Amino acid sequence: MTTLATPPDTAPLDDTPAVPDRAPRRKVGRWILFAVMLAIAAVMLYPFWVMIFTSLKSEQQFLSGGGFSWLSWRDLTSVIPIGQEILSSTIVCSASILVILVVGLPAGFAFSKLRFRASTAVFLIMVSAMMVPLQAILMPEFVNVTRLHLTGGYLGAILVYAALGTPFSVFLFTTYFRGVPDELIEAGIVDGLGYFGALWRLVVPIAIPAIATVTVLQFIQIWDDLLVGLLFIQNTNERPITVGLAVLAAGRTTSIPELMAGSLISAVPAMVVYLIFQRYLVKGLTMGIDR
Amino acid sequence: MAEIDFEGVTKVFGAGPPAVDGLTLHVNEGEFMVLVGPSGCGKTTALRMLAGLEEISSGTLRIGGVVVNNTLPKDRDVAMVFQNYALYPNMSVEKNIGFALKIRGDSKSEIKRKVDEAAAILHLEDYLERRPKALSGGQRQRVAMGRAIVRSPRAFLMDEPLSNLDAKLRVEMRLEIARIQRLLGVATVYVTHDQVEAMTMGDRVAVMRDGKLQQVDTPQDLYDRPANEFVAGFMGSPPMNLIRCRVRSGEDRVEVVFGDQVVELPWHYTSSHTLPPSGVDVVVGVRPEDVLVADASSTNTIKARVERREALGSEILVHLSHLDVTVGTEVATRDDARVSTLVAKMGPRSSVSVGDVLSVQISPEHAHFFDAVTGATLREN
Repeated sequence: MTTLATPPDTAPLDDTPAVPDRAPRRKVGRWILFAVMLAIAAVMLYPFWVMIFTSLKSEQQFLSGGGFSWLSWRDLTSVIPIGQEILSSTIVCSASILVILVVGLPAGFAFSKLRFRASTAVFLIMVSAMMVPLQAILMPEFVNVTRLHLTGGYLGAILVYAALGTPFSVFLFTTYFRGVPDELIEAGIVDGLGYFGALWRLVVPIAIPAIATVTVLQFIQIWDDLLVGLLFIQNTNERPITVGLAVLAAGRTTSIPELMAGSLISAVPAMVVYLIFQRYLVKGLTMGIDR
Repeated sequence: MAEIDFEGVTKVFGAGPPAVDGLTLHVNEGEFMVLVGPSGCGKTTALRMLAGLEEISSGTLRIGGVVVNNTLPKDRDVAMVFQNYALYPNMSVEKNIGFALKIRGDSKSEIKRKVDEAAAILHLEDYLERRPKALSGGQRQRVAMGRAIVRSPRAFLMDEPLSNLDAKLRVEMRLEIARIQRLLGVATVYVTHDQVEAMTMGDRVAVMRDGKLQQVDTPQDLYDRPANEFVAGFMGSPPMNLIRCRVRSGEDRVEVVFGDQVVELPWHYTSSHTLPPSGVDVVVGVRPEDVLVADASSTNTIKARVERREALGSEILVHLSHLDVTVGTEVATRDDARVSTLVAKMGPRSSVSVGDVLSVQISPEHAHFFDAVTGATLREN
C-alpha cells in the first residue's frame, strides 16, 4: 500500500512575508493620545470651572463651601464699572493693534522686499527689541510718556503697547512676506502700482493669516496686561478691566465670587477673538515650515 | 507700438562682473525678438531693465525713441509676462486681466469690454469667475497673456513664460503666443533658454553669453551662419559637432586632419573663409544632419565607431567616436573635450548598431570653421 505525501496545509503562494496587521496597535495608540489630550484639556479647563463654580455663590456660600446664588453677578456692576472698563480695554486694544498693524505691515514689506542699505542690521536691531522685557523699559517709558503729558488717558498706554508689540509684528510680517513671490509685486508695479499700492492691494489681501496672528496674539497680551494700564491710564473713568479687577482684589474686603465673576467677563472677549481667528492663527504661526 | 533700443546698456551688481555688458540691440516695431542664452547670461536682467525693474548702470535705453533710463515702470507702457505667471491670487481671472486698466482709471464698461475681448482671443470666456488656483498651468499662462494684451501696451516683455509647462502644452502655447503677437503687432522681447522656442518663435534671435551679445539674426541665418563657436554650439538640437583639427592646404586643395584621418574640402572654402595656414588648428563645425554615412569604399571619409544610438521615432541620433583611430597621431586633440563624440542624425530606418564602424562623410557644402583660439567664425562676410 502506498501512501501519498500530504501537501502542506497552508503553503504560501509566494515568498513574501506576511505584513503584520497594525490596525489594532494604531487604535490603541489613538486611544492613548485621546486620553492624554483629555487630561491636558482638563488641566486647562479646571481654572475656568473653578471660576464659574465660585462665581455662582454668595460670599457666605463660598466661605461655607456649599450653595448656589447669582448674587455676585448681580452685585458686580455696583462694585466696579465693568461695562465702562470693558469699553476702555476694547478701545486700548483696538487702537494699539491698529498702530501695530499700520507700522508693522509696511515695515515688514520693506524689510522683505526692498533693497536698502543696512536693512538687515536695522531689522535685527528692531527684532532684538522683542528680547527686552517690559519691566526693564517700563520706567524710562513712563518718564517719556509723562513728559509728553500722556499718562492721563488712553493715548499713553496705546503708544506703549504699540511700541512693545511692533517688533513682533515686524518680525512676523517680514517672515511672511518673504514667502510672497517678488514677481507678484513686480507684476503690480509694471501694471501701474507704487510700492504702497502693491502692499495694500496685492500683499495685504494674501497676508490675512499673518494679520490675524498678530491681532490675536497682541489682543490677548494687551487685554490681559495689568502693568501698563495701571501705570499709564491714571483717569479712573478710563481704566481697563484688568485694572478694575485689580482694584477689586486689592480692596480691604475682597469678595472672591465677585472677583471670579469679573474675571470670567474679562476672559470672554479674548476667547471670542481667539475663536474667530483660530483657523488663520495656525496657518500664521506655522508659515515657513512647509517651504 | 514702438521700437526698442538698447545702446551700450550695462548692468553691474555690486563689485562683480557686469550681468549685462554693453548691450546694443534694436527691436523694430511689431518685431518678435527672442533673447536666448544659457542661465546667467544676462538675458533676464536685460528684460528687467527694459521693464524698469532694474536700474541701468550705464548706457541708454529707448522705447519709442524716448530715453527711459529713469522712467518708472508704470510710465513705460510695457506689459510683462513672468515665468511663474505672477497672477494675483486673491482676484478672479476677470479681475486679474482687468487690474491694470482699473489702476489706469478706465471706466467699468471699458474694462469689461476689453477683458471680454482678451478673453475671447485667449479662449478664457468660461473661466472669468475662477481664481488662479482653480486653473491649470496652460490656463494660468493664458491669463498672464491676457493681463498683458488687455493694456494694448507699446511692448510685450516675456520672461520664460513657457518654462513651467509640460512639453505638449509648451508647443501649443508657443504657437498661441506667436499667433497673438502677430495679431496685435506689438514689439515683443521674449526671454528663453530654450533654443527651440527661440528658433520657432522669433522674427530675430539675439544670443547672449556672459552678459555679452554674441549675435543677432534671423533664426535660419543664426543656424546657418553662426558668428562664433558658442552660437554654433548653442543653436540647434542636437548641437553642432565642434571638432578641433588641423588645416592642411596645398595649391589647389584644402584638407582638415582628424587624428590620422584626412578629409578634403571643396576649394571654395579658401575664398569664402579666412583659413589659417597649414599646420594651424581650427575648429570645424558640422551639424548632425550634415554627417552622412558613406559606403566603405568611398573616399574622403572618416572612420568612426557607433558608441550610442538614440531612437527618437522620426530620426536616430548616432553618437560616433572617431578617437579610436587617432592614438599616437600628430594632432593635438586628445585633451580637447570638443572631440569626444560626433553626433549624426540618421533616418528612422537606419540599421546601425552600437559597435559598428562606419565611414562617414561631412557634407562638403556645410562645414563651418572657427578660430581655435577666439572661437570666432572664419567665414568672410
